[in-house]
Amino acid sequence: MVALAVILSDLLFGMMLGCVFAVVAHGLNLIWGVVKVVNIAHGEFIMLGAYGAYFLNVFGGFNPLLSAVVDGALGIFVGYAFYFSFLHRELRGKERITLRSEMVTLVSTFGLSLFMSNLAVVAFTGDFVGINWSPGTVALGFLELPLGALYVTILAVLIISTSVVFLDRTYIGNAIKAYSQDITATQLVGANPTKVASLATALGFSITMAGGALLTVWIPTGINPYMGALYAPISFVIVVLGGPGKMLGSLLGGLTLGVVIDVLQAFVPVSLAYAVAFLLLIPVLLFRPEGIVK
Amino acid sequence: MTLLVEGISTGYGETQVLYDVSLRTEDRSLTVMVGPNGAGKSTTLRTITGLQRVWRGRVGFDGNDITSLPAFARVELGMASAPEGRRLFPLLTTEGNLRLGAYCRRARDSAEDSLSQVYSLFPKLKERRSIKAGRLSGGEQQMAAIGRALMSKPTLLILDEPSLGIAPILIKEIFETVKELEKGGLSILMVEQNAYQALKYADYAYILQMGRVLRSGTPSELKNVEELRKAYFSIV
Ligand SMILES: Nc1ncnc2c1ncn2[C@@H]1O[C@H](COP(=O)(O)OP(=O)(O)OP(=O)(O)O)[C@@H](O)[C@H]1O
Ligand SMILES: [Mg+2]
Repeated sequence: MVALAVILSDLLFGMMLGCVFAVVAHGLNLIWGVVKVVNIAHGEFIMLGAYGAYFLNVFGGFNPLLSAVVDGALGIFVGYAFYFSFLHRELRGKERITLRSEMVTLVSTFGLSLFMSNLAVVAFTGDFVGINWSPGTVALGFLELPLGALYVTILAVLIISTSVVFLDRTYIGNAIKAYSQDITATQLVGANPTKVASLATALGFSITMAGGALLTVWIPTGINPYMGALYAPISFVIVVLGGPGKMLGSLLGGLTLGVVIDVLQAFVPVSLAYAVAFLLLIPVLLFRPEGIVK
Repeated sequence: MTLLVEGISTGYGETQVLYDVSLRTEDRSLTVMVGPNGAGKSTTLRTITGLQRVWRGRVGFDGNDITSLPAFARVELGMASAPEGRRLFPLLTTEGNLRLGAYCRRARDSAEDSLSQVYSLFPKLKERRSIKAGRLSGGEQQMAAIGRALMSKPTLLILDEPSLGIAPILIKEIFETVKELEKGGLSILMVEQNAYQALKYADYAYILQMGRVLRSGTPSELKNVEELRKAYFSIV
């Protein structure tokens, strides 16, 4: 009975954590899947979202849910700024995204990553900080669920499903999908490629930064300038698990990784749990390089 | 007159492909351009749809100079194309592809009407509406590409080799549908390898060879033209 309770709670916590992982991965997936940019600085934008939530809490008393909304709005601007300063020159007028431009953006976002984490040390100091937010717990049978984590899970699922519906049901959302498949044909149906690609990038950053805010609930003392070094790989693993460009793949990949990490933590030290979870990538790449989602 | 191409030259990198090409289309007419492989037919269409910048010359459409207008903006003016290789979105469904055809403002409000018109023109597409476009047969893909172009409610429809890779019995069907669209009021510019068959349906035709317009005229004027034969054999 006790063992069953432990397994069930590990599963449940793993799934809740996985939903938050899925959000940050989803942000990466949009940018990777649509404009084919592997954003090495992805983790630093998660960090930015987390610090955003921290300062909104310290100076405005915002809880992480509210901060996620504010971060999401800020992320739109950050995403457009990123597109027009880093990507536009490479993508403008291209009928296909060449390997060369993928390399150029890869290297330039690597530089951005180093710049941002080092600047963050100067601006925010290297201290670990956290947000104090505990809205209580709710009893679920024999489980005590923290309400904060529950709310965050709900918002996480809401963010992902809204973006999936947006991509599926709106003209511009469809054009984003189309762009990821054929840039030339996207223009031939009358869609402005710059408008489409920059919007996809802006959405990706918005979701990434909102995800950074949601993550703070799971790392009560862990906001720091180098946190990107953990959450970027997590995002990459999730996107590869789910399949780059497959939007529901982020959710499935996130759930998988969350559960695996949480269950592993019951047996091995935390850092080892992450290491083992990253190993998942190897069989997936070997046997299902297109991701676990069909 | 819908389209007026005046003396365009262009190419890829340093290599010139088109030399001083001029052509025009009329309202409610089917204009066909024939010529051997590599003559520059697709490149001509790329300059018309705006995918290819011109080095010299101008492109006019409905009285406007559109030479430097980007491709997506030309769709809003009433130009639509089914390009070489069809270029459907392979991971979207057939209907998803068609619906995207109505992307431009002008066409969105009547997307549902346009969709049922396309389905009545190509009943096969209705059957296959929820199949991913990448899994359609060659003929179905061609219908979907034409259908997607029609969804934008164009005044000028541009087709690049609609008969390519299609079963011979279907080719006639496609040409007949194209002719029907012309009677419905469209101006059509069609590139074809299948010269003799295409000329049967054309109102006016151009023969392109090595990047130059060799001859133009009505099909009966061109029928016995030695150049038409030569255009096809001199290259090989
Ligand atoms: N993207 C490109 N880059 C470089 N050269 C190209 C490109 N596309 C076409 N060409 C060259 O331009 C010339 C004209 O090609 P184009 O595709 O316009 O001919 P076409 O008449 O449409 O031929 P086909 O009947 O084979 O479709 C050819 O010599 C071709 O090799
Ligand atoms: Mg061609």
